[in-house]
Amino acid sequence: MALLEIRHLFKFFGGLAANSDIVCSVESGMIMGLIGPNGSGKTTLFNCITGYYPPTKGEIIFKGQRINGLKPDRVCKLGMARTWQKVRPLAKLSVLENVMVGALARTGSLKVARRAALHQLELMRMENRANSLAGSLSIGERKKLEVARVLATQPELLLLDEVMGGLNPVESEEIIQLILDIKKRGLTQVVIEHDMKAIMRISDRVMVLNSGEKLAEGTPQQVVSNPDVVTAYLGSAHVA
Amino acid sequence: MRGARQVKTFGRIHLTASGFAALPLLIVAAVVAALFVFPWLVASPYLLHLMILLFLSVAMGESWNVIGGYCGQYSVGHAAYFGVGAYAALMLLQYKHIAPWWGVWVAIAAALIISLLIGTICFRLRGPYFVLASIAVAEIIRLVVLNWKQLTNGAEGILLVDIPPLMLGGRLVTDWLSKTPFYYLGLILALATLLVNYLVQHSKLGYYLQAIREDQDAAHSLGINLSFYKNVALAISALLTALSGVFYGLYIGFIDPASVLGVDLSVQMVLICIIGGIGTNFGPVVGALVLVPLSEALRANLLSKFLFSIGVVQETSRVGGFLKENLAHAHVLIYGILVVVVILFMPDGVLGFGKKLIARRARPLSATPTPLVGGLDGST
Amino acid sequence: MRVLLQSTASGILIGGVYALVGIGLTIIYGVMRVINFAHGELLMIGMYLTWIIFTSFGVDPFLSIAITIPAMFLFGAFLQRVLINRVLNALPQNQILLTIGLGLVLSNVVMLIYTSDYKIITTRYSSSTINLAGLPISTPLAISLLITTVITAILYFFLLKTDTGQAIRATAQDRDAAQLMGINVKRMSVLAFGIGTALAGTAGALVSPTYYIFPQVGGAFTLKAFVIVVLGGMGSVIGATLGGIIIGVTESLAAVYVSSGMKEVFVYVLFLLVLLFKPAGLLGRSRM
Repeated sequence: MALLEIRHLFKFFGGLAANSDIVCSVESGMIMGLIGPNGSGKTTLFNCITGYYPPTKGEIIFKGQRINGLKPDRVCKLGMARTWQKVRPLAKLSVLENVMVGALARTGSLKVARRAALHQLELMRMENRANSLAGSLSIGERKKLEVARVLATQPELLLLDEVMGGLNPVESEEIIQLILDIKKRGLTQVVIEHDMKAIMRISDRVMVLNSGEKLAEGTPQQVVSNPDVVTAYLGSAHVA
Repeated sequence: MRGARQVKTFGRIHLTASGFAALPLLIVAAVVAALFVFPWLVASPYLLHLMILLFLSVAMGESWNVIGGYCGQYSVGHAAYFGVGAYAALMLLQYKHIAPWWGVWVAIAAALIISLLIGTICFRLRGPYFVLASIAVAEIIRLVVLNWKQLTNGAEGILLVDIPPLMLGGRLVTDWLSKTPFYYLGLILALATLLVNYLVQHSKLGYYLQAIREDQDAAHSLGINLSFYKNVALAISALLTALSGVFYGLYIGFIDPASVLGVDLSVQMVLICIIGGIGTNFGPVVGALVLVPLSEALRANLLSKFLFSIGVVQETSRVGGFLKENLAHAHVLIYGILVVVVILFMPDGVLGFGKKLIARRARPLSATPTPLVGGLDGST
Repeated sequence: MRVLLQSTASGILIGGVYALVGIGLTIIYGVMRVINFAHGELLMIGMYLTWIIFTSFGVDPFLSIAITIPAMFLFGAFLQRVLINRVLNALPQNQILLTIGLGLVLSNVVMLIYTSDYKIITTRYSSSTINLAGLPISTPLAISLLITTVITAILYFFLLKTDTGQAIRATAQDRDAAQLMGINVKRMSVLAFGIGTALAGTAGALVSPTYYIFPQVGGAFTLKAFVIVVLGGMGSVIGATLGGIIIGVTESLAAVYVSSGMKEVFVYVLFLLVLLFKPAGLLGRSRM
């Protein structure tokens, strides 16, 4: 049974179909790449799945349970976590405190949360920044902080929204290693990215969105050699 | 585990913005002890009165801090809880002869009901609605109290005749006939609100409230039930504010809609917090230490007298006469100016300003760069 | 039945003035996303300005609007440049506090200068009535509704047909996009606050023949203005127009059928009900 199943999902904003008949299945342990031009509905899909807004039509099945209309906090408690395209650090709190907020989703004890948070920071090799204000971090550090924070909520499914956006090649490489590490830890991931090389390296399967519709799905090789996909990406082609 | 002892709060200045500058416990204990001994050493009723006003301001500020400072939901209608508390306790005492230590429970219940009402209506919405609704509810209550003359005596207010003596185990604790019992009651109230603030801050609740304040959507996605936690914060705040209202009514002995339900009072509560430093444990204390002497100085015309004595203004001049007559009533004007000045130049209050100075001196803790792939330090 | 018709009519008349106040507030919010808690005090300043012109120069309050409008506009532009502009990027809570502080300063400065004594403007026609379909309608209120309609029409024309007006609406819809299109959004903010202030001041001038004038009169208007804006949908000028009328009628009926002291309570309770059931406003959408 798939960990996450999306059945004929539609999301309308007034007359605009931001997501149109999306069908998709994410198996446990895999990394699903989600690509598409800007405005194709990727983040909207994330928002619908995580309960930020309810889908207009269709079903979202997570771990066999229909989660349409559940609020984001319930979705997180069920084991699905997401990061944000535009990073959202809790600016006036320290790095450690940020991650603790995540850890507190699973415990009521500050002591336990602190230990869990430090553990996540160590895995990110960020423990030396533990007492810095989150608002003082560079963009690369903020992205890592956000990942550490959601990992502290102990999710089974992790949705990463352009987590490499705005990073230099060194930072991006770090994130790629991180994603592969996370896969080794047994988590399932759906990764939105524009960096084609990265997507090719990390994804088991790739889904392509265009203008709200699903354009293609398959292995990275299949998708990249799909003529429709190439057409949609005309002008930004770079195949590894 | 490496790094497990890194976060120490005892005996070190905590550089994070949870705001709690952890003073050595000894200083705090010494101050509290001194405060407890104060009435034995000082006989002046006026000084005792000032201290009581100080304690009341601290209590009001700390109460508002829970919902406004930690949770980031600015209520500008907290007078609702204050006034409801005062009226509940005093009406029960004056008309039904129910002692205030029973009446206070009714006051608390009333405040909680109102807070739940506002919370249920507003906390599921985004945007400025909570601020507006808080003002509206306070006004509704003020107008109802003002117009329901049979119940509340309307604009004439309630003048307390006397408070029954407090007996414990057959022995007289106090007959409320001097300022001293109110001093101790006020001190306990202020300390209680400080304690509640501290407990909230160092608990899961505190972390969640601050997360909500910093970024609601991020907090939501981290498993935080926004409505629930906002309501909890408001309930705690309402409860403490109602206690302050009861205390005020008992001490001053007279309440009317203008003094306990007006918007001036609501603004004052916010001001106490933002002057000191919003979202910090001791911010309201600093704010109270600024505002109470300032109000008193204005009221007693000390400011005018000072200006005359140093020769800046002639007492007999037009400006002098104007100052003498009006500065005493100008405290609301000063509040307004203070709000504008603080927001424009010191939005984090005195404590926040101080913290920035400290942070600028100390360097960030990372001496060793994070080892990255490729050996380059990515955090330029 | 007559009583019902008459109080409804009065409600519509005063509602027109409320609409002016609400439109000013909604324009400020729409363009700058600032919640202006000093709006009622701006109205109060308009009242005092009118009173000063009336007592010093004997100019009729409805005629002195020709002076009040530009004067208040300039005052609003001044306030925006000096104060409001500094908090455009601050937390919304801080913006609110700033305008609350501003309101306190305005009302208390006026109190210092003119004391809290009630002032009134009595003209020849202050208590006269005209006959409309058999109902006596207060003359000053009728004139003010006329003027309000004219001003509102001019405003609609300005917003819909002129370049500057459309630039304001564009800025309200999407500030960043407007800026990218070459619109000077800073100037739009100054304009918006100036217009909002002018409308509030004008409303003050219009009600000055019928209301007591005192420094704290602004407070109730501010809250009512917000109720109107929320009722009509924040940022919607049409909504504010409708909202003003609805609030005016509600208040008028409450004053007649319950009590004059409690009439505002009904307005505020209506506000809470709107938040409970239709928080996006009766028209459902924020747009200009």
